[in-house]
Amino acid sequence: MSKSEYFPQKIYVEKKSFDFPLTKRILKNVGPVPREVIDDPQEVLDDIKATKDIIGEGKKYLLITRQKGEFVKPCPCTPGYLGCNYFILNIDLNCPLDCSYCILQHYLTNPLITVHVNLEDLWRQLDIFLHRKRLRTIRVGTGELGDSLALDHITGNSLHLVSYFRKKRNAIFELKTKTVNIKNILKIEPAPNVVIAWSLNSSRIAHDEEKGAPSVEERIDAARRVSETGFRIGFHFDPIIRHPDWEKGYEEVIKKLLETVDPARIAWISLGSLRFPASLKAIIEERFPKTKIIYDEFIKGKDGKLRYFKPLRLELYKKIVGFIRAWGGEEIPLYFCMESEDIWREAMGWVPKGEENLEAYLSFPLG
Amino acid sequence: MKKKNLSLKEISLEDERFRISYYFSLEKLILSIQKVGLLYPPLVALRDKHFILVSGWKRVLACIKLGMSSLPVFVTEEEEELKTFLAAFYENLATREFYLLEKAEILSRLKKFGEDEKKIVQRYLPLLDIPSTLSNLESYLAFSRFEPELKRIIHEKNMPFSSVKLLAGYNPQERKSLLPLLLPSGQNRMKEILEDLMEISRRNDIAPQKILSSKEVLDIMGHEKLSPLQKADKIRFFLKKKRYPALSSRKESFDYLLNKLRLPKTIVVKPSPFFEEENFSVNFSFGNSEELKTNLLKLQELTSKQEFSAIFKLK
Repeated sequence: MSKSEYFPQKIYVEKKSFDFPLTKRILKNVGPVPREVIDDPQEVLDDIKATKDIIGEGKKYLLITRQKGEFVKPCPCTPGYLGCNYFILNIDLNCPLDCSYCILQHYLTNPLITVHVNLEDLWRQLDIFLHRKRLRTIRVGTGELGDSLALDHITGNSLHLVSYFRKKRNAIFELKTKTVNIKNILKIEPAPNVVIAWSLNSSRIAHDEEKGAPSVEERIDAARRVSETGFRIGFHFDPIIRHPDWEKGYEEVIKKLLETVDPARIAWISLGSLRFPASLKAIIEERFPKTKIIYDEFIKGKDGKLRYFKPLRLELYKKIVGFIRAWGGEEIPLYFCMESEDIWREAMGWVPKGEENLEAYLSFPLG
Repeated sequence: MKKKNLSLKEISLEDERFRISYYFSLEKLILSIQKVGLLYPPLVALRDKHFILVSGWKRVLACIKLGMSSLPVFVTEEEEELKTFLAAFYENLATREFYLLEKAEILSRLKKFGEDEKKIVQRYLPLLDIPSTLSNLESYLAFSRFEPELKRIIHEKNMPFSSVKLLAGYNPQERKSLLPLLLPSGQNRMKEILEDLMEISRRNDIAPQKILSSKEVLDIMGHEKLSPLQKADKIRFFLKKKRYPALSSRKESFDYLLNKLRLPKTIVVKPSPFFEEENFSVNFSFGNSEELKTNLLKLQELTSKQEFSAIFKLK
């Protein structure tokens, strides 16, 4: 897959999803891509399963279907570690980028790039959800089961989502991406409660492990352009990965980031070290035989996932927090994704008193 | 299909093109034939004027053991290899479970006899209770190419798919060098050895053979007083330390401090798994209040010792 905009080799439209406005918009935006109306996606999945690289093969095709369950779900986080009270919107599933460490390789049973088109149901469910949570400031995002902007040139969903959330002041809405697919974002008026966020890594990890993603410099530049229109921006160093010269690698990116964008425009930076279920390891070995990232010192954490042995995690976090503070990010809210209280205490110097306390800390810049 | 009586000499057992089973014991079948005779005749096919066995290896070998000179057989008129093999496959499928290596042989024969790869994945893998992916097919085909000695060990040790798949990552020479470590070890330890060795090799860009030929490994293997199991265990520890240096060093420090505390055997102090949590646990058992008091006093004494405080600094 090239680093330019993603276009599928073929689009499969589930019969009952054909008449939705988003379906028509997608079919118009993709141009001359072959399309087929199908009764059941299982037919397509059976063919894909007979290929060597099911996950890679699935990324070539776009499935248009309806979300039959809930669009809004609490972020699953992980048992035994501190969560951040985040909610996810499952509009797109799967991602055209092909990062070696991606959890979706293990998590999703359907390898096709999937777009749910019944947006009327989404708005209705969101109205109910936000009304129920009206006494809190809720953080919601679309970037957990897919990249928030990777399909935006085809779906145009960012325009609709920003317009919707602009009016919902008890929500902070985040679009999280590794792409530079910001054409739509640059067109719309910024909303104070919408954060456009990028996942960042050291240049070496981005180059070696994030196949199809733009370089770190391109991502930071896209963030600058978006922040200059008035949007607040966020960053996620997740997964942080130990590799030769990792200190230098992460410091360079942090320096570049804080020299390029105004730290005052940064809503938050999250940190999370590489972690994965044991079953993902076999998938990574098979799909990315050259990668070495899974052969570091991983232990089974309290949630059963493999994560770096604690002293190694702590070393990573202390250094990276130090780099952010040293290069001008003293005031930026930082938080850990799926970490224990003792890691918080030792690396950040404080521990949130539960998830709602963390939610309030991250909502504070909203004023 | 015709039924006829064949002399055992007429069946060419050297031709194993349809054979999928190699490891079985004959005792119970021999007893059954002695008691009630051969109820289900084997299936043979005529190829180049010779009868070759399609299905029923165990039955024929039992008959030979019993000294029988002839036996009833079904002769298939099918000339196509794939169709002939499928007859044997479906006959077995209906009556028994296949072992891992039998599944490997079945899939290798299907491919050899020209069955379409996609069809093997979609139709036959589910029949063999294997998730239908091409990658699984490739793994099983690799297993079918293993050396006979290794196949015997896999069968005898009833090695699971995950361990056998690890073996497929090694070349034949490496697999040969690994046999003395695998033979005395149980399933879990075998898997640890295979996994740690491969991961050290990949992480450090060193061939597994080079690690197996290192001085440390050769010294252990050449130690006269160690049993095969002790050698395998020592090498397993050596690999574990190389694979997880920071964790191993933390464990060693903890054990060292614990040793210096000279705890009675009845009191066990443990860190959390992999030192992931801040807490430690103490376990002891007691049969009466006197024993409880003694243990508590001993624990109280411990808290004043320097080594005890040092344990907490390990966190």
